Amino acid sequence: MQLVLSWPIRLFVVAVLIISLFVDGAGYVYRIVNKLPLQGNVAGLPPNFGGLQLYFHKGLDLAGGTHIDYQLTNFPAGQNRADVQQRTIQVINKRVNSLNVSEPEIRGAGTNNDRITVDLAGVNAEQAQKAIGAVSKLVYTTWVPDTKVTGGEYPGYKPALSGLTGDDIQSATATIDSTGTAWVVNITFTSHGADTFDRLTRANVAACPGDSTTVASANCPQRHLAIWLDLTQTDIDHWEDASYVAKVSSPYDPGCLATQAAGTVCGKFLTDPITREEIAGGQAQISGSFTQQSANDLATGINSGSLPVDLQVLDVTQVSATLGAESVKLSIAAGLLGLAIVVIFMIVYYRVPGFLASLALLFYAGAVLAIFKLVPVTLTLAGITGFVLSVGMAVDANVLIFERFKEEVRAGRTITAAVDAAVRRAWPAIRDSNTSTIITCVILGFVGPSAVKGFAITLAIGVFASLVSSIVVTHNLLAIVLAGGGFRRAGLLGVDRVRSV
Amino acid sequence: MSDVTPEQQVADLVEDGKAEQAAIVKPAAEPRVRRLNLIGKRNWFFALSLIIIVPGIVSMATRHFALGIDFAGGTELTVNFAGHPSLAAVQNAVDAEGANGSVISTGGDGYIIRYPPLAAAQLTSVQADLKNRLGPTNVQQILEVGGTIAGETIFLSVLAVVLASVAILLLLAIRFRNVPGGWRAGFQFGGSALAALLHDVFILTGIFSILGAFLKLRVGEIDAFFVTAVLTVVGFSVHDTIVVFDRIRENLRVSQRLSFEQVVNLSIMQTAARSIITSFTVVLVLAAILFAGGTTLQGLALALLIGIVSGTYSSIFNAAPLLVVWRRLQPLR
Repeated sequence: MQLVLSWPIRLFVVAVLIISLFVDGAGYVYRIVNKLPLQGNVAGLPPNFGGLQLYFHKGLDLAGGTHIDYQLTNFPAGQNRADVQQRTIQVINKRVNSLNVSEPEIRGAGTNNDRITVDLAGVNAEQAQKAIGAVSKLVYTTWVPDTKVTGGEYPGYKPALSGLTGDDIQSATATIDSTGTAWVVNITFTSHGADTFDRLTRANVAACPGDSTTVASANCPQRHLAIWLDLTQTDIDHWEDASYVAKVSSPYDPGCLATQAAGTVCGKFLTDPITREEIAGGQAQISGSFTQQSANDLATGINSGSLPVDLQVLDVTQVSATLGAESVKLSIAAGLLGLAIVVIFMIVYYRVPGFLASLALLFYAGAVLAIFKLVPVTLTLAGITGFVLSVGMAVDANVLIFERFKEEVRAGRTITAAVDAAVRRAWPAIRDSNTSTIITCVILGFVGPSAVKGFAITLAIGVFASLVSSIVVTHNLLAIVLAGGGFRRAGLLGVDRVRSV
Repeated sequence: MSDVTPEQQVADLVEDGKAEQAAIVKPAAEPRVRRLNLIGKRNWFFALSLIIIVPGIVSMATRHFALGIDFAGGTELTVNFAGHPSLAAVQNAVDAEGANGSVISTGGDGYIIRYPPLAAAQLTSVQADLKNRLGPTNVQQILEVGGTIAGETIFLSVLAVVLASVAILLLLAIRFRNVPGGWRAGFQFGGSALAALLHDVFILTGIFSILGAFLKLRVGEIDAFFVTAVLTVVGFSVHDTIVVFDRIRENLRVSQRLSFEQVVNLSIMQTAARSIITSFTVVLVLAAILFAGGTTLQGLALALLIGIVSGTYSSIFNAAPLLVVWRRLQPLR
C-alpha cells in the first residue's frame, strides 16, 4: 500500500493524465499550431504530431468501404509461399492505387500464407473487385516471321513471348508530354526489366534501322513490341488460324476473360508501339493519339502487373459511408449515455467516494482513448462496444472496494484504516476476476473469428486501464481527500456511522 | 500493487478478527437481510434455472438456431428505398428476380435481402434489377460470406468457448488450491464455477434458440457477435463467482466455528450487494447500447444483457450452493 500511495506513483499518474489529454487533443493542438480552423474538414489532416500520425483509425464499418478476403490458389511450384504472397500483395497494392483510396490496407493472412485481406475505405465492392480481380498477366511480345500466318496485324508474322512481363514493370503513368499537348504513357522498368527492355529495343532497331517516322523501310513488324494481357503460348500456337487471330487481337476484354467459357476466344491486345530508338535506363514513353481517358486506361492496364497466383473471393463486406457515420454517431451516443448513467449512479450511491471514482473513470476514459490513438487501434463497431462495456467493468473494482470499505467501517475501523483494508482485501478478487477477463480476451484475440478481434483488443486494453484507474487513482484520491478531514462525515461517505479517531 | 500473501491475510484477519467475529456472533447488529438462509432454499434456485434452461435445450435440440449470415453463408443486402415500397412489394420484386432472395424489414424504408451466395456479376445484376423494379436505392451494406469462411467462423467460435472454459477452470483451481483441502478443494471451486458458467451459456444459447428459431425474431440470430457475447458473459459470470468464492476462502480461515454451509451463506450475503450493483451498472450501459446503439448492435447488447443477468444470478444462487452440494458428496474437512 505504501508503494501505491507514494509520490512517485502520484506523479506518474499526473504525467499519464497530461500526456493522455495532450494525445486526445493532438488534433486540436495541430490545428492551433498551424492556425487552422478548429472545426470542419481541413485539407492536410489527419494531424501530424511530431512525426506521429495521431488520430482515430476507423474500421471499415465506421468509415464505409469494402473488405474482401481472398484465397490464393495455384501457387507457382518451387517458390517460397511467403514470398509469393508478398508479391501478390504488392501487385494488389499497385492495382488499388488506381482507386485513389486513402490508406488501403492489404494484409497477408492464413496459416499457410494462402490468404490476403483487403480493406478499402470509400470504395464499393464492385469497383474494388474490378480493380483487384479482373486483371490478367501482362506480357511483351516481339514479332517473328512465320510464312503460314495469313491474318492479324502483320500477315507473315506471329508474336513471340519476349520474356518481359508485368513483373518487370515498376509503374506506368498517364501524363501530358513535354510539349504540353499530347497524352502519353510513361513506363518505368525494374532494374532487371530495364536490361531486358534495353536488349529488346536494341534488337528492334537492328532489325530495320533508320528513322521510323520518315523512312518507310524502317517501319517493319520486327521493330514493334506488343503488349498483351493474358496472351499465352497456346494463343500464339493458333496464330495460323486467321479467325482466332482476329479475335485474340481485339482490344483487351476483362469481362470476357472473367467469365471465359470453354471455346471462346477473348480479346487480349493492349498496344503495339513502334520502337524509335534503343532505350537504356528503364524509362520508356508510349505516345500516340491518346485521349486522357485512353492514356489512363492503358496505364492502368499496364500497371495491373502480373499476379503470380489465382485469387478466389472468400467473403465481401461493403458498408456505405452513411451507415458508417450513423454507427459512429450511435456508438458515441451510447458511450456518453453509458458513462453518464454510471457516473450518476456512483455519485448517488457512494457519495464522495463515488464522485472520486467518477473522476478516476474520466481519467480512465481519457487514457484509453489516448492508447487507441497511440497504438493505433483500428476502431470498429464491435471495438467501440468493447470500450463502452469496459466503462461498466471499470467501476467494478471500485464497487468491490467501496462495499468492502462500508463493511470495514461497520466493523469499527477508522476511516483511513478502513480504506487501506478495503483496497487490500478486495485485491485478490479484483485480480482473479480481471485475470479471467484478460484470458478470455487473449483467447478471442488469437482464435476468435476476425470480426470479434477488435472487441477483444479494446476490452483487454480497457480492463487493464481500469485496474490501474481503480486501484491507483481512486485509492490515491480517497487518501488525499480523506486526509483533510472535512469529508469524514457518514452522509458524505455513504456509510452508517463514522468512528471518531 | 503488491500481492497479498495468504500469511499476510491471515495475520491481518487475526489482528482485527475480534471485530469480525463480534459481527458474526451478534446477529442482531447485522442488517436483517443477513439472516436469509439462501443455501437452505437452494433447490428452489436450481429449479428456477431449470425452468429456463430446459425449454432452451428442447428448442436447441429440435429447432436448432437461426443462423446469421456469417455462420450460414450467403449474400445479404441492406437497402434503403427512396420510394417507400411495402414489405410485400419488396418481396414480390425479389421473388421475380428468381435468385431465391428473402426479405426482412428493418423499420422505415430499410430492408435486408438475403440470397444464397451470389457471384460478383449476379450481385451487380440483382442490384440493378431492384433499382428497375422499386426505384432509387441506397445500398447501406453488402455482406457476402462463402462456405469456407462460414465453416471456419463456426469452428473458431466453438474452439474459443471451449478454450476459455478450460482456461478458467484451471485458473480457479490454481487460485483456490490454498483453501483447506488443497487441489481437490481447488477443483471443487473451479468445477462449481464452471457449472455456473455453463448454466449461463445454456441460458443464453437456449433463449436465443427460442427467440431466433422458434419465434423467428431477427434479433435472435446467432453470428460472430453472439460468440463475442457468450465469451464476455463467461468472463463476467466468473467475475461474480470469483468474488463470492474469494469471500468463502477468506471466511473459511476466520470463522472456524461456522459450518461450511454457514460460511457459504455468510459469504453470499456479504458479496451479493457488490455483485448486484456491478451488474446493475453494466446493465445500465448495455441498456444504453440496446436502445441507442442502432440495429447492428442490438443482438450483441441483448445477448450481453441476458448473459450478465444470468451470470449474476448463477454466481449468487447456483455456484455457491453447488459448492455446498459438492462438498456434501465429497467431504474434505
